[in-house]
Amino acid sequence: MAKAALFLTLALLPGFALAQTPKADLQCKGTGTDFVYDCTIRLSRGGKPLEGVQVTMGADMPSMPMAHNVKPVKAQPAKAPGEYKAKLDLEMLGVWAVKLRLAGPVRDQLILHYEFDSKGATPARR
Amino acid sequence: MDDYTIGVLTNVGLISFLALSAYLLLIAGEMSFGQQAFFGVGAYAGGILTAIYGWPLPLAALGAMALGALAQFLVGLPTLRLRGLYFAMATLAAAEMARILFELFHFQRLVDGEAVGPDGTQGFRGIRWVFEQGIEPLEYLGIVYALLVVALALFLLVERSRLGATLRGVGEDPELAAALGVDVNRVKLGVAAAAGALAALGGVLYAHHNTYVEPRNFDIMLGVHSLAYALIGGLGTAFGPLLGVLVDIGALEGSRIFHGYRMIVFGGLVALLLVWRPRGLLDERMVQWLKQRFS
Repeated sequence: MAKAALFLTLALLPGFALAQTPKADLQCKGTGTDFVYDCTIRLSRGGKPLEGVQVTMGADMPSMPMAHNVKPVKAQPAKAPGEYKAKLDLEMLGVWAVKLRLAGPVRDQLILHYEFDSKGATPARR
Repeated sequence: MDDYTIGVLTNVGLISFLALSAYLLLIAGEMSFGQQAFFGVGAYAGGILTAIYGWPLPLAALGAMALGALAQFLVGLPTLRLRGLYFAMATLAAAEMARILFELFHFQRLVDGEAVGPDGTQGFRGIRWVFEQGIEPLEYLGIVYALLVVALALFLLVERSRLGATLRGVGEDPELAAALGVDVNRVKLGVAAAAGALAALGGVLYAHHNTYVEPRNFDIMLGVHSLAYALIGGLGTAFGPLLGVLVDIGALEGSRIFHGYRMIVFGGLVALLLVWRPRGLLDERMVQWLKQRFS
């Protein structure tokens, strides 16, 4: 019985750990001002909205690492659970690696690749 | 200090390792457009060692530096026979080969139920040692600069030594150096290995700062920038490349005066400086003048 319990625990551990990894989805729309976007971040963990997290959003250009220093902005919680809003001010159009730094109940950094054009952002093809 | 300032200063520190690596080869008379490859070797190797094998970062950094040194030594064996532009082109080709190899490199393992490791063009996520150790961005900035100070101190020591004089002699007139009994090829191979180790150290620190790397990070743009920093800052002292980085990332980017047009301004600045001061702002004459003035 004890062996079975141990086996079950070990078997479930990876799944449990995976469920603990936060996931993020991003939607950004152009504001009409060059390179400035209104973004909505949806955070979840194990399929459930992740609330009460301090989210700081930054960005780096993968093809020119360290050459662009986008000012990180703190995202504000929106009405829907797990939803946060922030204004992202980039330097140019193209593929950006958006960095979401999470603090508070969850400490992590998520990287999302999006292609930004004048209208908004779409997940980058890679 | 706010997040933005910490971010800019960390980037200045990280890219300084790459600029110093390009500078080391420049003073030995070789212009490399391929230092980003060894930065990448360091980033991937260091990331694999901490994220997959659970090594502590200091050990992983040493391992990555050894691999970076070996990689540049092996690239140097055939390419250092070439001169001038031919060597520059060979390093560029080697760096592109390395980038394509990173794109083909898949080495993922399950860590806590999550696939971690290089996944070709999808990059390498989950380099989380710094997060797991609870190191704050300001503390990491301190680590980066402490290592940069160590690297600079080593440079200054070498530059004041007989080895430094030999290096500059090899760089300025290899035939004369050979006539004086210097094994030019051996010196250059040693320099290449040291430059590879230095670039790899920058790469390890970059990967752990970013938690993620991908082949595109090690594109030719990074190599061109690192070379440009050394050329703008000057070849008279190891402080030159740091000045080059500060001019671009610190002043141009930090001030955000040229928002969106920085790259154009940077390119123009490089062109102007190469005409006005071919050996950079802190060239040998300027360093000599400063020494006389302040000694």
